[in-house]
Amino acid sequence: MSVGRGRAGPLAWAALRRALAAIGSVLGATLLLQALVGFAPGDAADLAANDAALREALSAEWGLNEPLLTRWGRFVLGAVQGDLGESLTVRPGASVGALITTSGARSAGLVVAALALGLGLALPLGFGGGRARRLTLILSAAPVFLALYAVMTGLNEGAWALIESGHLQRPDWFALPDAESSLRWTIGACALAWGSSSLAELQAATAQELSRVRRAPFVLAAQARGEPAWPVALRNLLPPLVEVGASHVAVVLGGLIVVERALQLNGAGDLFWRACSQRDLPLACGLAASAALVVASARLLSDLARLWLDPRLREAA
Amino acid sequence: MSRVMTPLLLIVLAALAAPADAGSLRYAEDSAPAIVNPLYSTTMAEARVNELLFGGLYADDRDLRATPLIAEGATLNAAADELRVTVRPGLTWHDGKPLTARDVAFTVETLQDPKTLSTEAGRVDWVQSVSVVNDRELVFKLKRPDPQAIEKLFFKILPAHAFASRPVTRADAFRTKPVGSGPYRLARFGDDNSITFAANPNYPKALGVSEIVMREVSDKSYQAKLLLYESLEALVRVLPRDLAVLQKSRKVELYPYQTNSWWYIGFNLNAAPFDDERVRQALACMTDVPSLLAPIGTGQTLSGPFVRSSPYYNHDVPPWPNDNARAAELMKGAGFTKVGEYWSRDGQALTVTVSAHKTLESAQEVVINLQSQWRAAGVKVDVEFLDEAAWKARIWKQHDYDVVLAQWSFDRNEDVREQLHSSGARNFGGYKNAEVDALLDSARASRDPAARKADLRKVHAIVHDDAPMIFLWSLDSYSAVSTKVRDVVVHPFAYFSFVSDWKML
Repeated sequence: MSVGRGRAGPLAWAALRRALAAIGSVLGATLLLQALVGFAPGDAADLAANDAALREALSAEWGLNEPLLTRWGRFVLGAVQGDLGESLTVRPGASVGALITTSGARSAGLVVAALALGLGLALPLGFGGGRARRLTLILSAAPVFLALYAVMTGLNEGAWALIESGHLQRPDWFALPDAESSLRWTIGACALAWGSSSLAELQAATAQELSRVRRAPFVLAAQARGEPAWPVALRNLLPPLVEVGASHVAVVLGGLIVVERALQLNGAGDLFWRACSQRDLPLACGLAASAALVVASARLLSDLARLWLDPRLREAA
Repeated sequence: MSRVMTPLLLIVLAALAAPADAGSLRYAEDSAPAIVNPLYSTTMAEARVNELLFGGLYADDRDLRATPLIAEGATLNAAADELRVTVRPGLTWHDGKPLTARDVAFTVETLQDPKTLSTEAGRVDWVQSVSVVNDRELVFKLKRPDPQAIEKLFFKILPAHAFASRPVTRADAFRTKPVGSGPYRLARFGDDNSITFAANPNYPKALGVSEIVMREVSDKSYQAKLLLYESLEALVRVLPRDLAVLQKSRKVELYPYQTNSWWYIGFNLNAAPFDDERVRQALACMTDVPSLLAPIGTGQTLSGPFVRSSPYYNHDVPPWPNDNARAAELMKGAGFTKVGEYWSRDGQALTVTVSAHKTLESAQEVVINLQSQWRAAGVKVDVEFLDEAAWKARIWKQHDYDVVLAQWSFDRNEDVREQLHSSGARNFGGYKNAEVDALLDSARASRDPAARKADLRKVHAIVHDDAPMIFLWSLDSYSAVSTKVRDVVVHPFAYFSFVSDWKML
């Protein structure tokens, strides 16, 4: 990206502020998670050991008896040096960094697809009236796991009936969610984009921005000049849409846990659930830090994009 | 509408269709093994994988008698404190390297090394030292005379050459590239947490199943469905509610097997009023065990800490009768009076919290019925379900509970010492009885099977009367296997012990 002299200052300042906020988010998220997992009954040593002596030895080795702030400080220090430690119970001995990279790569495509699909659907729906909004809200409000259960059961039962009757050769996706397939992944992306009010939120935000832009003086001026208003409206809609998309990243990341568990997609969301339920503190903290970093980076990029696209914001910055 | 939708659905499904792979035996686990290393096993899923990959010096034959596997034989000296083991000649590891007595010694020493932090160290805690005589022979010195020492040679043998770290750690690369001597070798880990095992070409016996795939299916109730859909070939244990459906299927065969597992209601004897045996006995009399069992399956009700088929089960001891009049007498004897509908002492109604493990199958039905039975008899009942970490912390470590609904599973030795001896690691209820301690010690040291049997039958009778637990039942277990697989014999504890006999059509 080529940045002009007039733009570089505000952009750098915004980037610095966002970066500081990102560091704060990561530190806060990991401290909060350390506290939450730490206060939950049981720890990794309880799970891995079957006698008191081994439990004590493991607790000592894994630093589980240390005070919260010491544990957290050790994690932060390691993270700064690029060492997130080893998994304790989920994949004992495996590098947390490697686990996050592998699972994160599996989830990244799903998150990007869900965001693109969500924004792609929200934009035309945003043009719709109150009826479209209400319908989206109702459909989108269905809990993701219930919707997934219904979809999978319907597809499985339908396909099995056809297979048994000889009308269908056994498909490679059959039976969901057990078999690895692109269909399973597509269902996951749709569920993330659509479910748990995700689409309704996106649509509401998009509609609000759309309404604001439609009433903007430059759109009204274009209309008064007899020019088509939508190119102007769309161009001015882009910066707020970028912001809506970026702020939605956190929602999609949260939805990953349910979707990946239900569809056995084994990405970062599924891993985070396992890490918390199995009290694997290094892995849970590593994943939380990564998620916080992704959210903060999305916001940073969105801010920079908005500053780049909107001269009024640059002046304000 | 349906005229449009049906062809549309057909087109969509056909477009997505492609032939699925066949020929391998796929079985389901609720949760994939976290680690493939017998030094650090903690779950049954890991134990089953270990059974495929690794061998022990001894293994069970089909009558569950100890029979040499890696060992050619073993001889215990007259004093029963020295065991000489000969390793079978010509055995190799999956990587082709020879399996020798040094590997056996390495395994024992590694398990015993405190720096290994092995979860399986208890399997060799009877060994004082081990010395290698030559590549095929080694001698175990025992800590104390043990006539049953040969029965303890079931631990899995590991290849010394395959471990990079000394002392061995969990992080050792072995966990991703395990090398064993079992009938199957690890072929690959799947992105979906599956593990594929390929037949070991060096195995002394020809294998009838060329590939086994462990698939993770976390939803237990979905496993039976996948078997019916022919997406799986084996289910380790069928849920009672799925039995009827699977029985009707012509594509599935059910294999009953007897496990050494029994359910119990355990009291916290460190907390009042459960420190009073009359209260425990009263609660036992308030419990209608057959009614608790009926909704969750079939099985045999028990009066003590052994399954009915065990030689140690004391058939002269009947289970506690479901007798509310007797329960009332016992409660009054313990200082309780009926105030309103509940038993009270010192102005406090007796309130019991029943804790159960979240993953204990059918526990919800049992707990709800138990709650109703005890409430009807005058006891307030609260219920809580704990996940594994909370269970280990609250019940095992902190002993912070009233009553647990749980299950104990035993291997072939049926050694209840850890559960009932005052120094037992699994005696979290705090049961103490000097006579039981002496009998358990005597049974463990006994060289005479008849004397051991007599000791343990006495333990059964005493423990029944003391009622640190209400012994409930041993459930009938069934494995479901596709009819494509023949000559199936299921091992009650390790499942795959006889897999080398299975054949795929």
